Amino acid sequence: MNEGEVPRALVIGVGNPDRGDDGVGPAIAHRLRTRAPSGMSIFELGGDALALIEAWEGFSIVILVDAIEPTTKPGEIYRFDLRDSQLPITAMPQSSHAFGLAETIELARSLGRLPQALIAYLIEGERFETGTPLSPASERAADLVADKILAELATINKAFRAGAGRHA
Amino acid sequence: MASRSIKVDYIARVEGESSLALDIRNGVVDAVRLSIFEPPRFFEALLRGRGFGEVLDIVARICGICPIAYQMSGVHAIEDAFGIEVDPPIRALRRLFYCGEWIQSHSLHIVMLHAPDFLGYPDAIAMARDHGAAVERALALKKTGNELIRLLGGREIHPINARVGGFYRVPSRAELDPMAESLKRARDRAIDMLRWAASFPFPEFVREYELVALRHPDEYPMNAGRIVSSAGLDIAARDYEKEFIELQVPHSTALHSALKRRGAYLVGPMARYALNRDRLPAEIRALADEVGLEPRCRNPFRSILVRALEVTYACDEALRLIATYEPPARAFIPAEPRAGVGYACTEAPRGILYHCYRFDEEGTILDARLVPPTAQNQAVIEEDLQQVATAGLDLPVDDLKARCEQSIRNHDPCISCAAHFLQLNVHRI
Repeated sequence: MNEGEVPRALVIGVGNPDRGDDGVGPAIAHRLRTRAPSGMSIFELGGDALALIEAWEGFSIVILVDAIEPTTKPGEIYRFDLRDSQLPITAMPQSSHAFGLAETIELARSLGRLPQALIAYLIEGERFETGTPLSPASERAADLVADKILAELATINKAFRAGAGRHA
Repeated sequence: MASRSIKVDYIARVEGESSLALDIRNGVVDAVRLSIFEPPRFFEALLRGRGFGEVLDIVARICGICPIAYQMSGVHAIEDAFGIEVDPPIRALRRLFYCGEWIQSHSLHIVMLHAPDFLGYPDAIAMARDHGAAVERALALKKTGNELIRLLGGREIHPINARVGGFYRVPSRAELDPMAESLKRARDRAIDMLRWAASFPFPEFVREYELVALRHPDEYPMNAGRIVSSAGLDIAARDYEKEFIELQVPHSTALHSALKRRGAYLVGPMARYALNRDRLPAEIRALADEVGLEPRCRNPFRSILVRALEVTYACDEALRLIATYEPPARAFIPAEPRAGVGYACTEAPRGILYHCYRFDEEGTILDARLVPPTAQNQAVIEEDLQQVATAGLDLPVDDLKARCEQSIRNHDPCISCAAHFLQLNVHRI
């Protein structure tokens, strides 16, 4: 990355848009597509989680958004900084044969292929039936998370510019 | 001597949900139960009343790892029922499609699921810290397999481009050419993976299975061939149910398959290789010789080598198919449904996958029967466990558990594929 450039950021929406609230990740990706600032890319993952390791190659900041099973309150938003801690595996539906999101992140950590910053937003879903739309709680959460991501990236970029200015 | 029971409540690194129980009485392994508690999924019943054109989209969802196998057995069975013979370029494209699945499925199993057993790691994540290059190689191989599937199937999970009579769309030469570059690199990686796997310590263990696989006059089998066995069986797919039977066992939601006359049998890479080694190109056979893979491997722990050899072959075969590809004049032959029964068997990565459908005159399914490789291998998996546990009775319990789990993973079982077949019997009083 050249001095003065903002770090390249990637937002990854994980989930199946045809399975109710499982589609909250792609829904957030859609919301961000029209509002993405310079240096931000969007990727939707509906298949093999192992593909993430290659997808985030070359990005300094990666933000994952995904749905989780309901435990307390539908629409609840959880944020994890994964650079220094693991995704709590119980929060994730365990994939069996296929590597799931949590396993893929840990595999990348073992291989030394994590991005400099890796943040996950997980949203508690309410319904996951085939062909259903997002629940109102997930719709609201999707709006909120999209705003949070933009604010978070703006803060990181501002800090970076300030840091770059000091070095200039 | 007191009795003891050893239980593995949840078997990891296999597809689906299962557990294992061993009963040991007076120093003898008294009972072995591989319990499959994956919920039954009723796919056969779900297919009834559906049109023939819906089959490939439904059966692809039986397995996220081997959807192409389900689509290929399904499409061949439908075409058998309707009397459709596809054009040679379509046949070649289907074989190319299958190569993609073998590459991605086998590479995932070899490195991510099975190799940690041999090298003493709890999982691939821990193994990656010390064997990063091997894991990176597997990721690259899997990616190549996925690319091939995406190119022919539209997407890598539950592909959407295969249809009765051919494909919705066939690729141009220009689309296939870049794939060849990726496959050449994949072939080199596959050879490295084979040599790496050959360096593993293999437990001394020999089994005499009846081996069952497809056999084709001049191809290593994927989409076509007769069903043959090491004991002389040689039948067409339409005679499968005359020779094989499925049995319900109390501890499993998956049916156990058996040869009606001889019982348990083995399908999968070991059977395919032993029965079809002469159908492999000389350079692939030479690689097998180089790593010490005997023409008929009888140690199931060495099946990992056969898988690695098959990945190399699938890369080779895909390159050959791409080099000789001429886009067909038509992407598919229109299907004219008719009443009747169609049968097919193809070689999924884990072994033969049998499909049979009965249609009415409009092509609506009246009955469906699907027998996946894991259901067929369950009896030999339990027999293996009995012997592995007997040989390892002196091992500490945790080591014995690990050896038993490794033994299950020798067969790369796909539990959720196998768990479709529970019959629901309702007794009304």
